[in-house]
Amino acid sequence: MAKRKMDSIGQSGMVALILLCSLTKIFVKASLEVNETHQQHPNVYHDMGVTRNKIVTAQFECYQKIMKDNTQSREEPMCNRTWDGWLCWDDTKSGIVSEQHCPDYFQDFDPSEMVTKICTDSGHWFLHPESNRTWTNYTRCNEHTNEGRVTAMNHFYLTVIGHGLSLTSLFISLGIFFHFKSLSCQRITLHKNLFFSFVLNSVITIIWLTAVANNQELVQRNPTSCKVSQFIHLYLFGCNYFWMLCEGIYLHTLIVVAVFAEKQNLMWYYLLGWGFPLIPACIHAIARSYYYNDNCWISSKTSLLYIIHGPICAALVVNLFFLLNIVRVLITKLKVTHQAESSLYMKAVRATLILVPLLGIQFVLLPYKPGGRVSSEIYDYIMHILMHYQGLLVATIFCFFNGEVQAVLRRHWNQYQIQFGSSVGNHSDALRSASYTASSITEVQGCYTIDSHTEHMNGKGFHDAEASMLKSDSPFA
Amino acid sequence: MKLIFQSFLYCCLLATVAHCVELEVNPELKKRISIWLGSRLRRDLDSVSVEKTEESEHFVRPEDIRDTLLPHSSTDINVRTKRSKNSANQSRRQGCSLGTCTVHDLAHRLHQLNNKLKIGSAPIDKISPQGYGRRRRSLPVHRVTLRLEQGRLRPVWSITDSQVHKLEALLRRT
Repeated sequence: MAKRKMDSIGQSGMVALILLCSLTKIFVKASLEVNETHQQHPNVYHDMGVTRNKIVTAQFECYQKIMKDNTQSREEPMCNRTWDGWLCWDDTKSGIVSEQHCPDYFQDFDPSEMVTKICTDSGHWFLHPESNRTWTNYTRCNEHTNEGRVTAMNHFYLTVIGHGLSLTSLFISLGIFFHFKSLSCQRITLHKNLFFSFVLNSVITIIWLTAVANNQELVQRNPTSCKVSQFIHLYLFGCNYFWMLCEGIYLHTLIVVAVFAEKQNLMWYYLLGWGFPLIPACIHAIARSYYYNDNCWISSKTSLLYIIHGPICAALVVNLFFLLNIVRVLITKLKVTHQAESSLYMKAVRATLILVPLLGIQFVLLPYKPGGRVSSEIYDYIMHILMHYQGLLVATIFCFFNGEVQAVLRRHWNQYQIQFGSSVGNHSDALRSASYTASSITEVQGCYTIDSHTEHMNGKGFHDAEASMLKSDSPFA
Repeated sequence: MKLIFQSFLYCCLLATVAHCVELEVNPELKKRISIWLGSRLRRDLDSVSVEKTEESEHFVRPEDIRDTLLPHSSTDINVRTKRSKNSANQSRRQGCSLGTCTVHDLAHRLHQLNNKLKIGSAPIDKISPQGYGRRRRSLPVHRVTLRLEQGRLRPVWSITDSQVHKLEALLRRT
C-alpha cells in the first residue's frame, strides 16, 4: 500500500516536473517571439511615452482635484494646494512639512522614498534660498538608487544560487529516499513530500524571477500564461509552508498527543499539504482579477497578498506552538531518564535548532519588515538567505546528516566495494562492513518501530522517535 | 534555564501578536481603520485604472473626461480626491510587509529596475534649486463653462481632445 502510494507520488511528481519544463519552454518561446517582434519594430514604445503619460495623467487629476472643492473655511494661514510639476500637493497648514512617496516616473526614482514640501509659518510654500523659487525636495528620490540597484541584483543572485544549491541537494536526497526502499516509513514519506514541495517551489521561483520579472516585454504584453504562472507560484509557495505545517502536526501527534496511536492516516496530510493551499491561491486570483488586475500580477504593493501570506503565517504560528510543546515534552521525558542537566539542555537546544528550519519557525521569529532603509535592507538579506537556502538546510539536516541514511549509504558503499573492489586480502574491510550492516539493520528497525508502536507503548517508541530526530550525535558533536 | 528559554519564545510570539492587538485595543482607531481600508481598496482600484491608461497609448480616455467632468453624476471624482488627500500625508508602506513576502518584493523590484520603457534617470536640473515646485499656474477653471441643462448645472469643456493636447504641450514646455 505504502509502496503504491509512493509510486503514485513519484509519478505525479514526474508529471508536474514535465509540466513545469513545458512551461519554461513556453516562456522561452514567448520571449524569443517578443524579441523578434521587437526587432521588427524598434520604435514601438516612444522614448518618453510612459513617463510623459504618467506625468500628464497626474497633472490632469491634480487640476481636477484643485478645481473640485476649493471653498474651504480658513481660519489660519494655509499653503494653497498646488501642482508642482511632478506631484500634487494638498492644502497644508502652516509650519507643517508635507510628505509623499516619490513618483515612479523615472527608473532611478525609488517609490519607497519620500518627497517633502515645506509650508512655512507665513502660509507660503518654501522658497529655495538659492533661486528664490518655490521648491519641492525631490533629492531623496534618487539618492540611494544605485545602491538599491546593486542590492536588488545581489538579492537576485543570492536567490538564484540558493535555489540552485537547494535543488541539487534536494534532488540528491529525494533520490536517496526513493532508491533505498529500506528507508521508507511515514516520517520519510512526509519528508519526501516536503522536499518535493521545496523542489517545485524552487523551480517556479527561479522561472518567475528570471523569465517573468526580468522580461519587460512579456510583462508588457501581459499574456494569460504569466498570470497562470503567478498563480502556480503562489500555490506552490503555500504548499511548501503547509507541508512544514504537516511535519509539525505529524511530529506533535507522534510525540505529544498519540503515543499509543497506530499508524497515522496520511490522507489528511496530503489534503492539507497539496489541497488546502489551492483555496487561498484561488481566492487571491479571483480578488486580484477584480480589484488589482495589474500586468502579470507582479506588483507587491497590494494588500491582497495577505490572502496568501495570512494563512501561511497562521500555519507557522501553529508550528511554533508545536515546537514549544515538543521541546517541553522532550525536556520532561529526558528528565525522567536522570541525565545530567547540561547534556539535557544541550539536547533540547539541539532539537530546537534542528526543528526550526523544518517547521519554518524563523519566519515567525522575524515577522515584520522594519521601517528604516538600512534595517530593512539587512532584514531583506537575512530573509532571503533564510528563505532560499532553507531547502539546502533541510536536505542537509534531514537527509545527509540523518543517521539512518548515513548507515544505509555506508552499507551500500561497502557492498559495492566488496563486489567490485579487490577482494583479496581485505578482510578488515569486510568485517567492518558486516558490523555496519548490523548497525544499519537495527537503525532501520528503529524506523519501523516508530511507525508501528507495537512493542514500545510507553514512551519507548517516543525515545526512538527522538533518537532518530536527534540522531545527530555524530554530525553535531 | 527552561523557564528562560520558554519565556524567550513566548516573547517572540507576543511581539508577533502585539502588532495586531495594538490596533484593536484602541477603539477610536477602529473607525479610522475601516475608513482607511475602504479608501485603500479604492486606491488600489484607482491605481490600476491609472496603469491601464498608461498602457493604452491615449493617456486620457474620452470616457474618463466625460465622467470626471460631471462631479455629481459620477463617484469617480470622489475616489480621486480621496486618494490625493491620503497621498499627501501617507507614510505607511503599501503592500505586504511580512517576512515571507520578500520574494514578491524582489520580483517587483527587479521588474521596476529593468523597466526600459521609463526614462532612465530623472532630469537633474528639475531636482536642483532651479527645478520643480516653482510653477504656480492659474487653474484651468476659466476653460470650463457652466451650462444649465435639464435643471442641472453642467460644466462643459469646449473640445476635450484639444485640452489634452494643450496639457501635453504645457508639459513639454516644462
